[in-house]
Amino acid sequence: MLPEQHDILFSFLSILFATFGVFVFGNVIQNCREREGLNTTLWGGIFGIFAITLFLMTVHMFSLVQRDQLIFFFSTYIWTILLLLLVWGVFFKSNKIESQSPPIIRGFFFWTTVSVLLAGYTNWLPQQRSDPPPKEAAVVGDLTMEEFAEMGRVIIFGAKQVAGQKSIGKGQCPLCHTFEAGNNIGRCPNLFGVEKRSHERVKEERYATSPVAIGETEPAAGIVKGKYDQIPEEYKRQHGPDELTGEDYIRESLMCPTCYVVKGYGKAGDTKSPMPVITKPPISLSRTEVNAVIAYLQSKDTPGEFAAVTVPLPQDDAGNTGGGDATAEEDSGGDEEGPVFVTGKEDIQTMINTLGCPLCHTIPGVEGAMGQLGPVLHEKINAPKRIKDPNYKGKATNTKEYVRESILEPGAYVVFNEEAGESFPDGLMPTTFSEQLSVQALDKLVDFISQTEPPAGS
Amino acid sequence: MLGKNTRSIGALSLGLVLAVAIYLVPGMTGIADAKEAFAEQVFAEEAFAKEVQAEEAVEGEGEPEIEWSQDVFYKDWEGNPLKGPVSGHPAPELGPTDYNTYEFAPSRIILWVANQQHLYFGSFVLAVPIFCMIIEFIGIRVKDEDPVMAAKYDRLAHDLMKVSLTAYSWTAILGGVLLFTFITLFPGFFKYMAGIFRPVMHVYALMFLAESGVLYVYYYGWDKMKEDKFLKWVHCSLSVLLNLIGTVLMYLANSWATFMQAPGGIDSQGRFLGNIWHVIHSTLWNPVGVHRILGNIVFGGGIVGAYAAYHYLTAKNEEERAHYDWVCYVAMFIAIFGLIPLPFAGYWLMKEVYAFRQQMGITLMGGIMAWLFIIQAVMIGLLFFGANSYLHNGMSRVKGSHRYMKYCKYMVLLLICCFTMWMTPHTIVMTPAELKAMGGAQHPVVGHFGVMSAKNTAVNLMITCTVLCFLLYQRANKKITVPWATVGNCWITAIFIGAAANIIFLGVYGYFLPANQRVGLSVPQVTSTLTTLFAGTAINISMFKDSESYGDIQWGTQSKVGTYAIFLLAISFTWLMGLMGYIRSAVRLFWHVTEVVRDNSADAYTLTIGEAGKMLTFNALFVWVQFVVVFWVGSLTAKKIPAKAPEGVPVPAQQQQ
Repeated sequence: MLPEQHDILFSFLSILFATFGVFVFGNVIQNCREREGLNTTLWGGIFGIFAITLFLMTVHMFSLVQRDQLIFFFSTYIWTILLLLLVWGVFFKSNKIESQSPPIIRGFFFWTTVSVLLAGYTNWLPQQRSDPPPKEAAVVGDLTMEEFAEMGRVIIFGAKQVAGQKSIGKGQCPLCHTFEAGNNIGRCPNLFGVEKRSHERVKEERYATSPVAIGETEPAAGIVKGKYDQIPEEYKRQHGPDELTGEDYIRESLMCPTCYVVKGYGKAGDTKSPMPVITKPPISLSRTEVNAVIAYLQSKDTPGEFAAVTVPLPQDDAGNTGGGDATAEEDSGGDEEGPVFVTGKEDIQTMINTLGCPLCHTIPGVEGAMGQLGPVLHEKINAPKRIKDPNYKGKATNTKEYVRESILEPGAYVVFNEEAGESFPDGLMPTTFSEQLSVQALDKLVDFISQTEPPAGS
Repeated sequence: MLGKNTRSIGALSLGLVLAVAIYLVPGMTGIADAKEAFAEQVFAEEAFAKEVQAEEAVEGEGEPEIEWSQDVFYKDWEGNPLKGPVSGHPAPELGPTDYNTYEFAPSRIILWVANQQHLYFGSFVLAVPIFCMIIEFIGIRVKDEDPVMAAKYDRLAHDLMKVSLTAYSWTAILGGVLLFTFITLFPGFFKYMAGIFRPVMHVYALMFLAESGVLYVYYYGWDKMKEDKFLKWVHCSLSVLLNLIGTVLMYLANSWATFMQAPGGIDSQGRFLGNIWHVIHSTLWNPVGVHRILGNIVFGGGIVGAYAAYHYLTAKNEEERAHYDWVCYVAMFIAIFGLIPLPFAGYWLMKEVYAFRQQMGITLMGGIMAWLFIIQAVMIGLLFFGANSYLHNGMSRVKGSHRYMKYCKYMVLLLICCFTMWMTPHTIVMTPAELKAMGGAQHPVVGHFGVMSAKNTAVNLMITCTVLCFLLYQRANKKITVPWATVGNCWITAIFIGAAANIIFLGVYGYFLPANQRVGLSVPQVTSTLTTLFAGTAINISMFKDSESYGDIQWGTQSKVGTYAIFLLAISFTWLMGLMGYIRSAVRLFWHVTEVVRDNSADAYTLTIGEAGKMLTFNALFVWVQFVVVFWVGSLTAKKIPAKAPEGVPVPAQQQQ
């Protein structure tokens, strides 16, 4: 939910408790009327004040949003309710009234307590919001092979790594595949050594015949097996030898998983692969993205060594038309900018401009970065203060961690705009930077922003 | 019955067991036959369509006018994608103009609330006729030998229908709210769905008319058809008809949700391929339907139980207290009977999800939704604790239960152990330092309890323990006199020990198998559990023949802890139902219709667990506020008529006290 919207649960609870206040008032008046010797004016006045207070507090709850509602509820509202219960108990005890709160009220509190505790439990667990992946990554500038392979790694694993949790990128590969030697979760083949295997596999007898023979069309994917030159035009290899290569096998595995099913990992006697066609929904990788994934798979077992990579860089790819789905681009009028991918090779000014930071932030040292929608980035001096802020709920312990967290999880801490007297709008800053930045790019950006400070003399 | 009459316990138990079997068995055992029949059917359909196409080509200008496209789900008899004539428009690429919003909350949240409230009420009004059908039937069956009990059953069924009648109107209103929410906030998406499901929606509306008609005749004809034996049977038959129509209604509405999650009958562009049945019965339709029927029974039992528990607490005299205590028991009995097979229906549903798209299943069990299943585990543990707590407390009011009470503490211990194992996560989110300190993502000892081998073992043992607890409750006031009592007891003991040993052995064995083979062990584990349920219950009931009673159940002496255990069960059912509904729906992630219609609204993100948890609590509280209002409205016309035996009919001695 957006920060400027109401917290539905706590707004509702405040309505329920306001109704409860009215009920208690009615209950006390009824008891006073049924029994002689009770001071109706006194007790009616006390509980009337409670009812009115709760009503006004409920109205106030609706003038607040989200976080402020919670703060007000737990700092003020809940204590008023507890005080009301206490005074109600005093009323019963002091007047020796036997039949006290009716079962409906006890049931209500039992119900509410259990339900709210369950909600509390869910808030105690790790919180992770999942945003839709960008439709397609566009490459900014020329890439080196290392950067291109890194782009493939980000597609597979995402840029954000949470310790102890499986990191999954747009490709969703780690849901089933493993990548390190000896690690096998049994869902799909381990991809360690896939580059080497790819060359051998295309020569295997089983590859030639099972589950469909070379030259036959696999119906689910619509791909002709073993024919690199009959791959759909937008993904077709336009470089390298005129024969089936290891690269073709990997591409075919991505675009037509059932063209060849590794023994023990398929359905129906290893004739059907459970893997989705990676160029179709829900993954829908473009030509450049498929090539980036292949580059990563071909190079991952030899860190720093890219000799085995056979896919061309985007700038050298004759088949690269700048988008994976030409039709879709045409339909959309072509004036809609696709999401970006920043490698970290660009200079910091280009990176920041590409990511669009100046639209909202004023950033010392970046020309034209005079945005007013977000906080001014003086993180060298601001970050340490914010980490110590009692309202800070993030996990950073130093400036760099704070900046990294702010980029990847903007909602972790929302800066208070002292000039406007209210917080900067939460939810405005995109949460998709993890999909747009390589690890190197993120490090570079964090290093730079961590050093931002007010200009000398200001 | 249910503490007073042995024969009717058997009738109710067997009736419920049969009902469950009728729902589950065809779906679970007939899959192979169905697939074969389906292959033949689609082959015939395709051949017919091709014939039509050829004829049209001959009659026309020589060119076929029908465009053919491949189905996204259905396969032909060779396993190739089924082809069908394109009969609809492609799915729209939704843009900003296809969504409307309110400022106070995201549209997706508003839709969730509207949907969930309608589903809660729909679930209740579908469950109550099932209860009434069973209770009325038992009332008719016992009328000759125990007219007082028969009158009590009749009154109970009638009272439930009265509440249901108000809830029925409420459900329809909430359905209208849901429809308007769809139309106003998601017009682009609704237009597409309406284009595909147009005939289904009209049939649904007509079925609603039929449901209303039968419901009104059933309820308002109650008193007129009460006395004559033949008319009473006709009246009871109406409840069967009512349930049939209700089930069809639910299945029709389910088809919209299952289509969104796992579409079929369309091509990859979202174009309808001319066969509405394919669209309706996509792969998840049957398991979701069975799951919902069982869920409705459990949820309905929870609501009726809470309703009775509340009246028990506010009862003014012993008679009322005894009545509502008994109603609590009947409701819990039905709810627990629905609860026990529910996980198996869940397994079936998940199996179909995996069969549809493996990554969807893994997203649920090992991806972003995995934590929600940890919460589900906690909720199920809470349910089993609540159910066992109620049975343990309830047993104490049964004369003769002292023979079995001593076992309760061991059962609680077993439940605690299993619950702990059941809720142990495979991995948890840690800081790098914590990760390093622990030596990996899995704890070296506790991590072993996080895998499915341990969890299947734990949940099967919990269910087996609950079955055992229930069997002990059933026989608590009975002195078994059948000549084969020792043999029967030995058989029951052997079944339970054998089942537990098998479940534990298979659980341990699973650690030595690769994951893809380990999955298969869940089947024999579940079979062991089902054996205790069916065989154990059957032998137990058979042993009640000619049994002597230690004394009647002391209705009206239920402890407050037992009563609040019912409240806990009702809350847990409500919350769990919301949670599982959310998981099932949210696994579509950023798709309106998986892989076909992408959600391009600003609300296409998946909520954090905390946000989802708050909404679940809101939905649970909100619906119960409405239930209180509905019950209150229903009580405005209540007339308390004591159950009285008809004149001239001898009342059995045990009922005369």
